[in-house]
Amino acid sequence: MNIPGLGQAAPAATFSAPTIQAAVAVHDLQANSEWRFEVAYGQSIEVKILSGTAEIFGTELAVNHTYTFRGTKSSIFTWHGCRIEVNGPCEEYMAEETPMITYVNTHFALEKLRDDAIQNGGEGPRVLVVGPNNAGKTSLVKLLTAYATRMGRQPMVINTDSREALLSIPGTLTATPFASIIDVEHGWGSSPTSGPSPVPVKLPLCYYYGLASPEDDTKLYKPILTRLALAAASRLADDPVIRGTGMIIDTPGVISQGKGGYDLISHIVSEFSVNTILVLGSERLHSEMQRRFSAYKTRSGEAITLVKLDKSGGCVDRDDTFMQQMQEAAIREYFFGDPKRTLSPHTQQVNFDDATIYKIHEGGEEDSQQVGLYENVEPSSMMLHCLLAVMYASTRDSQETVRDASVMGFVYVAEVDEKKRRLKILAPLNTRITDRPMIWGSWPETTVSLI
Amino acid sequence: MTTEFSDDVAEDYKRALEDLTMNSRYEISNLTVIARENTEHALAISEALKSHIKQTSPQKKLPAFYVLDSVIKNVGTPYTIFLSRGLYSTFMEAYALVDNSVRRKMDEMLKTWKEPVPGALDTRPVFPRDVTGPIENALIKARTSAIQAQQEHTRSQQQILGRGRPGPSPAPYRETPTPPNAYRQPPPVQQGYNSNYPQQQYPSAMNGQQYGQQPHVQQSYGLPPVSRPSSGKFDYTNQDQRPPTQNYIPHNASAGSWQQPPPQQGYSAHDNSIDELNSDIANLITVFKTDFALNPLDGNIQKRLKALLDLQSIMQSQRLPPQQISEIKTQVAKLSEASKATPKAPKSPTPAPVPAQLPQQNSLSSLLGPGGQGTLAALLAKQTPPIQTRSPQPALNQPFKPPPVSMAPTPVPDTGSLFEKLLAAGIISGKPAISTPTPNIPLPANISGYRPPFTPNPSRTPLGEIPNDVVLKTSSLKILYEKLGAPCTQCGRRFQSNEEGKKKKTAHMDWHFRVHQRMTEAEKRGQHRSWYVDELDWIKSREVEGDQNTSNGDKTNGSGVTSSSITSKPKLQYLPVPDDPALASSTCPICTEKFEMKWLDEAQEFVWMDAKKINQRIYHISCYEDVNKAGIKRDTPEPVLGKRKHEVTTPTGCRIGKSNKAQDDNIAVRSKIKTESY
Ligand SMILES: [Zn+2]
Ligand SMILES: [Zn+2]
Repeated sequence: MNIPGLGQAAPAATFSAPTIQAAVAVHDLQANSEWRFEVAYGQSIEVKILSGTAEIFGTELAVNHTYTFRGTKSSIFTWHGCRIEVNGPCEEYMAEETPMITYVNTHFALEKLRDDAIQNGGEGPRVLVVGPNNAGKTSLVKLLTAYATRMGRQPMVINTDSREALLSIPGTLTATPFASIIDVEHGWGSSPTSGPSPVPVKLPLCYYYGLASPEDDTKLYKPILTRLALAAASRLADDPVIRGTGMIIDTPGVISQGKGGYDLISHIVSEFSVNTILVLGSERLHSEMQRRFSAYKTRSGEAITLVKLDKSGGCVDRDDTFMQQMQEAAIREYFFGDPKRTLSPHTQQVNFDDATIYKIHEGGEEDSQQVGLYENVEPSSMMLHCLLAVMYASTRDSQETVRDASVMGFVYVAEVDEKKRRLKILAPLNTRITDRPMIWGSWPETTVSLI
Repeated sequence: MTTEFSDDVAEDYKRALEDLTMNSRYEISNLTVIARENTEHALAISEALKSHIKQTSPQKKLPAFYVLDSVIKNVGTPYTIFLSRGLYSTFMEAYALVDNSVRRKMDEMLKTWKEPVPGALDTRPVFPRDVTGPIENALIKARTSAIQAQQEHTRSQQQILGRGRPGPSPAPYRETPTPPNAYRQPPPVQQGYNSNYPQQQYPSAMNGQQYGQQPHVQQSYGLPPVSRPSSGKFDYTNQDQRPPTQNYIPHNASAGSWQQPPPQQGYSAHDNSIDELNSDIANLITVFKTDFALNPLDGNIQKRLKALLDLQSIMQSQRLPPQQISEIKTQVAKLSEASKATPKAPKSPTPAPVPAQLPQQNSLSSLLGPGGQGTLAALLAKQTPPIQTRSPQPALNQPFKPPPVSMAPTPVPDTGSLFEKLLAAGIISGKPAISTPTPNIPLPANISGYRPPFTPNPSRTPLGEIPNDVVLKTSSLKILYEKLGAPCTQCGRRFQSNEEGKKKKTAHMDWHFRVHQRMTEAEKRGQHRSWYVDELDWIKSREVEGDQNTSNGDKTNGSGVTSSSITSKPKLQYLPVPDDPALASSTCPICTEKFEMKWLDEAQEFVWMDAKKINQRIYHISCYEDVNKAGIKRDTPEPVLGKRKHEVTTPTGCRIGKSNKAQDDNIAVRSKIKTESY
């Protein structure tokens, strides 16, 4: 048969987007190997497992289903070998040395603890994952979460890293039960929207810290963590399936890198009754953890199990540019959804006088001791293109109450009219927000206009 | 051999034909014999036969066709010549008037006309190609255009499902040639994949040679058993009380001694032509991919590319009957013609509007439709039973066939868990800790003689069947794979093949289907991010295994999360689908959406979920409750928070809160309708 149309199809000028020409590649992966890929922001690739088995951070991929990845650094691992079809531009390489066996063993070990917990009506393991930046903490947390859900468990996943959000916007600390498959195309997936979701959405409980590093303001960070732990513990007490599974806690890399950070680890260990610590990649951190916790007992008298795991070679260093793009993508996704499911946010006008806005002090801790937690500020052009966290609290509440409240959602300051004393605000939906206090943090940084 | 005499013969013949009310082998061969003995009156007899076919009621058309079939196959010339004249209109007009089952028979008959008479020395087809070809083409067109309406219906869903990926394999082929509603099907068939879905999609006896003996034809439609409409329908199998051998069974060896056994014309014809077709498809895909790259925004190209990719995966995953293969060939050829002519913008098919409730008899013109141009997409749509105007996704339609689950014995738990070893290795006793041993052991890790230095914990639970090998065994991995059952083709989630697993799987596929369906609607309606839940609601909410809340709770967000106020409702709220057609087509007065129909196993009937009849109108229960709640303004934040704060700090003393999340969403939905008033 003739192949029609190839030559005459279109003028060469339309070939302006070179990426689109990327050919379809097929890779054969050996058992126990990993295909790592990086897709630049603004680009996407389609991946299809043609045969065999494959997983992304523990979530099994369906065979012959096309997955689309945008702006991500990720990897597909196979236990049994597989054939992958890749369509689109990406950086990629194969890895045959992975720590997956120790990771899956860790999972089986946790399963044993969960079985015991269910048997005795106790709590499943509260697992803390620590390690320096780019050691693969989040990937390990995701892997353990995915393995647990595959086996019918419902782990409570805690994110204490405000730099990178989990089902929310950076700056938040969250607790999220996972009962269903993780949306491999969108990091952790999506929080609820008014419409249906092709992958079951997850329901995070969010608190707003609003700074990039826990060490920026430990006086703010610690009580929020405490509040998060309290809520999570309440859920565990109430929810037998999650209780039997336990928690998996992700941490910011920075707290694994020095004295101040170690104190924060101790705080997390105590607040979340951590009884298992997985140390990724760092010998020094491991001995420090050993020193701190070898004699430690949780509130219920349990000893802490400390496990050192190798960091995955697949952990790519994510530079500031990448982090920034990731942040922007998370914000966009929050308001506008993704290409497969677009969301329509609403804009509304807010009078300066109607808005209650608390600005997080950035000057450090002495400041906050003198003037309170937050500064009650009048809207100004400084706020342009910033995000505000709308809190589940009343404008009459104390600052401590506002701090401890969970986040209702985020709004984006699209315009500030200082003359008319009005803000134009982008909100996910059209609800009055002026009866809620809003917190203005410095994280996430937004430098671009969303609209 | 006067004309008058011919007229008499024709008159007699006509009368005999009129008495032929059913598929009777005796009468048919009798009429065949008369035709053979009166070849000098062949013209008159042929005309009589044709005019009889034209004029007789739809119920009698098939037996008359059997006479025609028998005559041309057993007598042949000159009948072949006379009967081929106008065969197109004879065939097509009848085709338009008869019901689906008869069409199927006619299709089969037409197929045999393209072949030589089985066993005959003459190797030419029964009718010349130029006679059968136009009929065949017209049928393809008719099918295509009839399907396009349905295609339009499901297209958006398929796009969501497919998104350019060759994902969904369509439903197995059904011998359903055309069809909009020739049977008066009860609406419930749209849930056909639910419970009563027959595993056998096409009867094995269907080799295109048998016309009569298929008492279970209705089963092959993949529908729950339906009571046959009793009024005015010709039931060519059940009504015939004679033994089946009394039926005229063309070309069946048992039908008569004057026939040779037919060659096996099975569906397994997997020959070079299929390979050729496959490579043609692959070539076309290349072409369209290029086109697509050049015109990424051209919906037509996308549509066709997707259709081609779908087709390719169908061809790879299924064995299609030759009839369909040849249709595909025709379409592929057409498409490559088209792409040759207008490579960049293939014409969009014009869908023929096919109302959901067509009268039983379609006119020829409605069958042929205004948009005769067949497209692959439309052809593919044929894979869904066209009666299902709101049908499940093709892929969901497939009976669940779990790959063989490994029967490997449960691995014996290794003595000593990872943690035990680690603990013993000295974390607690202060000795230097070991890191997790033996990384990167290739699979299968077969360390013979390896015995962990620990005795099994006597308190180990029976669940400890799961081994905590430090050295991973392949058997351990089965826990994450084979032992979980077979994966869902859509998302990879695994389901056990036991009863419970099957139920879950059904509910899960149901969920996929509804999500795809609702995503289309949601896309039109516009959707938005919901507010996060507050502490109390979050604590009280329950994950319901992702998608198992088929009965309620996911009306607005498919969240797989149900809040306590929802779970505390009675488990299943439903209403049997009303018999009254006016009610059966009603929508919820509040949200104006249709009701979600579902086959409910325990009720053994089709029901509307989340529906309730209130004052002669049917509402979504959730909508009704929302509206009634709407009068109550949401609490001001302060008192709620005050209470909440207190409760959160005393974990066991939590109260059940109202579902703020659901309410917020509803507020949002309502605010869409209202103007933006803030
Ligand atoms: Zn699925
Ligand atoms: Zn409704």
